Amino acid sequence: MRWQFIARITGILLFFLGLSMIAPLLVSLYYHELAFGDFIHSIAITTIAGIILIIGSKKRGSDDYINQKEGMATVALAWMAITLFGALPFYFGPEFTNFTDAFFESVSGFTTTGSSVMTNIQGATKGLLFWRSFIQWLGGMGIIVLSLAILPFLGVGGIQLYKAEVPSPVPDKLTPRLSDSAKILWAVYAFLTLAEIIFLLGGGMPLFEASCHAFTTLPTGGFSPKNASIAHYNSTYFDYVIVVFMVLAGINFSLHYQMLRGKTLAFWQDTECRFFLGLVLVLTLIMTWNIYGSVYTSLKDAFRFASFQVVSILTTTGFGTADYEIFPGLSQALLFVCMFIGASAGSTGGGMKCARVIVCCKYCYRELFKIIHPRSINHVKIDNTVIPNEILRSIMGFLALYISLFIGSGILLAGMGIDMITAFGAVASCIGNIGPGFGSVGPTENFAHMPVMGKWLLAWCMLLGRLEIYTVIILFVPEFWKK
Amino acid sequence: MKIIIVGAGEVGYNIAGRLASENKQVIVIDKDPDAVRRLSERLDVQVILASGSNPKTLIDAGIKETDILLAVTDSDETNLVTCLMADLISPTTKKLARIRNSDFDSYYDRFKKENPHIDTIINPEIEVVNTIKRLMVVPGAVDVGDFADGRVKYVGIRLDRHSPMAGMKLFDFSLKFGEDRPLIAAIIRNNEVIVPKGDNNIESGDLIYFVSETEKLEKMLTLFGKKIIPIQRALIIGGGRIGERLAKSFETDSIKTKIIESDIGRCHYLSERMEKTVVLHGDGSDQKLFLEENCGQNDVVVSVTNDDETNILVSLLAKNMGVKNTITRIGKSTYFPLLATIGIEKVVSPRLSAVSSILKEVRKGKVLSDMSILGGRGEFIEAIALETSDITDQPLKKISFPKGAILVCILRNGQIMIPAGNSVVNPNDRIIMFAVKHAVKKLEKLLTVKLDFF
Repeated sequence: MRWQFIARITGILLFFLGLSMIAPLLVSLYYHELAFGDFIHSIAITTIAGIILIIGSKKRGSDDYINQKEGMATVALAWMAITLFGALPFYFGPEFTNFTDAFFESVSGFTTTGSSVMTNIQGATKGLLFWRSFIQWLGGMGIIVLSLAILPFLGVGGIQLYKAEVPSPVPDKLTPRLSDSAKILWAVYAFLTLAEIIFLLGGGMPLFEASCHAFTTLPTGGFSPKNASIAHYNSTYFDYVIVVFMVLAGINFSLHYQMLRGKTLAFWQDTECRFFLGLVLVLTLIMTWNIYGSVYTSLKDAFRFASFQVVSILTTTGFGTADYEIFPGLSQALLFVCMFIGASAGSTGGGMKCARVIVCCKYCYRELFKIIHPRSINHVKIDNTVIPNEILRSIMGFLALYISLFIGSGILLAGMGIDMITAFGAVASCIGNIGPGFGSVGPTENFAHMPVMGKWLLAWCMLLGRLEIYTVIILFVPEFWKK
Repeated sequence: MKIIIVGAGEVGYNIAGRLASENKQVIVIDKDPDAVRRLSERLDVQVILASGSNPKTLIDAGIKETDILLAVTDSDETNLVTCLMADLISPTTKKLARIRNSDFDSYYDRFKKENPHIDTIINPEIEVVNTIKRLMVVPGAVDVGDFADGRVKYVGIRLDRHSPMAGMKLFDFSLKFGEDRPLIAAIIRNNEVIVPKGDNNIESGDLIYFVSETEKLEKMLTLFGKKIIPIQRALIIGGGRIGERLAKSFETDSIKTKIIESDIGRCHYLSERMEKTVVLHGDGSDQKLFLEENCGQNDVVVSVTNDDETNILVSLLAKNMGVKNTITRIGKSTYFPLLATIGIEKVVSPRLSAVSSILKEVRKGKVLSDMSILGGRGEFIEAIALETSDITDQPLKKISFPKGAILVCILRNGQIMIPAGNSVVNPNDRIIMFAVKHAVKKLEKLLTVKLDFF
């Protein structure tokens, strides 16, 4: 393990994190807010910490090559550092009284979860609200991917970092050169964000709120500058615009790229995308049928709210337009399942990812098939390509870890005196990077009342969920530290 | 006519034998000394021990004066390079290559139009798969082949005791069945090929070859007391090239298919490429596996391993378990006469398919297709009647047909016509003829005489 190397990369990332805080500073200055000083402090601390790390670690000749283990450690540690320093603007702000809350908000932002501890969001300064949305945007496509796109410093070892950060069992490399792939991903991401801002502006949303929402829709984050989230506007137009962009954010970004390059059937030809879109449609219809009459009197409303909640939870965004806790049991159960399934691999969404769910189903079918035809030889295939055994194992391992983590953390949280529904709802929501949970952390409540230890536990779950468990948990395997 | 054959394997050997017996000048090139020796000892051909793709070898063999080059080694690459070199040295030579890898399938047209200008590409596997698919739908059919792009078929069928036809004389056919009577081309009785005349009668146990329009085939079969069965489940033994192609083609026909292959690596390969087909690892002749997979419930069992004995065993095993329809791949033509006695009748042979495809190309005149039956003891020939040949423009009764040959039918403007003594063959009619082995050469003369039309 070359600590010098890890420290250097972390230092560089922190330095740029510090620079990125200039954005909320400008917003703050634009609105003549007194709180702009908080950002100046944060910028100073973060950039200086970054510079110290860079200077403290000497560059060596062999820096170019990183093995998988180092790549994972770098990404995990860099993310921890970024979320810590990203919490500074919150900590200095008047809305936050202790560091735990600030850190929780920061992790929830970077991991695109969207769970909040702020009770009066509209009362916060514009600068802080902007920062809150902006960190989701940075975290969504990935800070490392961003730095791969704009900074050439990572060299050939970049692929290990890329693999450790991109939420997909098998990250696609769109072009022969990694930095080009990263650029493409970020360009598509920025393009879609811009498109959403324009659509929201078109519906009459003020520029500040439109950008904040677009910055949290595309990363499937879910922070909103309004207390009541999207429900604040009570507008059918905004609901559907956001539904569409949430769905787009939940689709593998390499498919967007193929689409933009003129391969119009890309969505349809991809098994995972078909599955994802089909799931959205089927669940929406079931939920519409389920809540029509019992909650909403008009079919149009039932469809509107059903589609929004399904898409919001399935893509792990977490915006709210309705309190799904008053929905019938079936609808709630479906949303709970959505929390686990999540969006597509290679999208900005969280959860287990559709691809893994498909592979898991096919794998189980294969095992059953094998009992009926003991001598059959068959492979798990997606889009007619065989999933190699090692990837299959890693996917099954991931699912097992995901479920164990859910159970373990749920029990721990319940042990802190929280009721069972809330405990498991909150954990499912945090591992899946969704936002709202069930019980007392439902769509109309927030996480402020959680005990301090509970907040740290949930923040930890978010980080594990965002970096897809392996990257973080590997640090806790004793074998990892043996020389 | 001078012909160079590159490759002295099974296909090369058989073609060389056939062509030599028809008095063609044949030169065989191969780099395997044993194969070359075997050939030179048994056949009246010239042999060269060298690599066929080498330009010097080709020049030495006289490629420039050669009419036809046949590249039929086991290696697709060698065959392609051979044709490429031949094309460079002697562009006028007609080139024919055997290519087996299915990944080349989509390039056949370009191989023809661009370098190396291969006139004909022979893929025995494709032919065998087509033959199997034709055979499996006609119950009791021993042999089925296509003419006129599939609009006309010939069928070889074993007449069983219950058939309404058993014991009839051929001239009674027109009285009993009228216009739609079957056109009998050959009767095989006690292993002897009879080219029928009106006073021949047919008996139960005979193997009868007849020709029919594809549309009317079903009706014809009912005359013989058989009916076409749809195939829903199929079991393929042997996952080689043929097995793979067959399974793929079954998949597109949505037939539920299982394929048994003994090589585990090959199993994985197949499983990666198949969509719905169930790939099973096991020995083809393993009775336990057959029971486990309910072998008896299949509509057809096709055994296409590379081993004749295994294939025969599998078919017998399957028949024993209640499968009526079994198709067996046989490589050794010496087995053919024996098979009928042990009840194996539906037989395919990739080698024979290749031989007949190649022979079709080599024949003079406008031969459209040429199919050997019974391991080469007789041939169906579909040709266009040339103006210059003796067969046209006079009543058939005036033409002296060689003994052992028969004009089965005439196709004019898409219509199938039954020839009678007064019928006249017009130039450019398609005619379908049958000839026993020794009459083929004379028939060929009849078709093209006077001018060597090549």
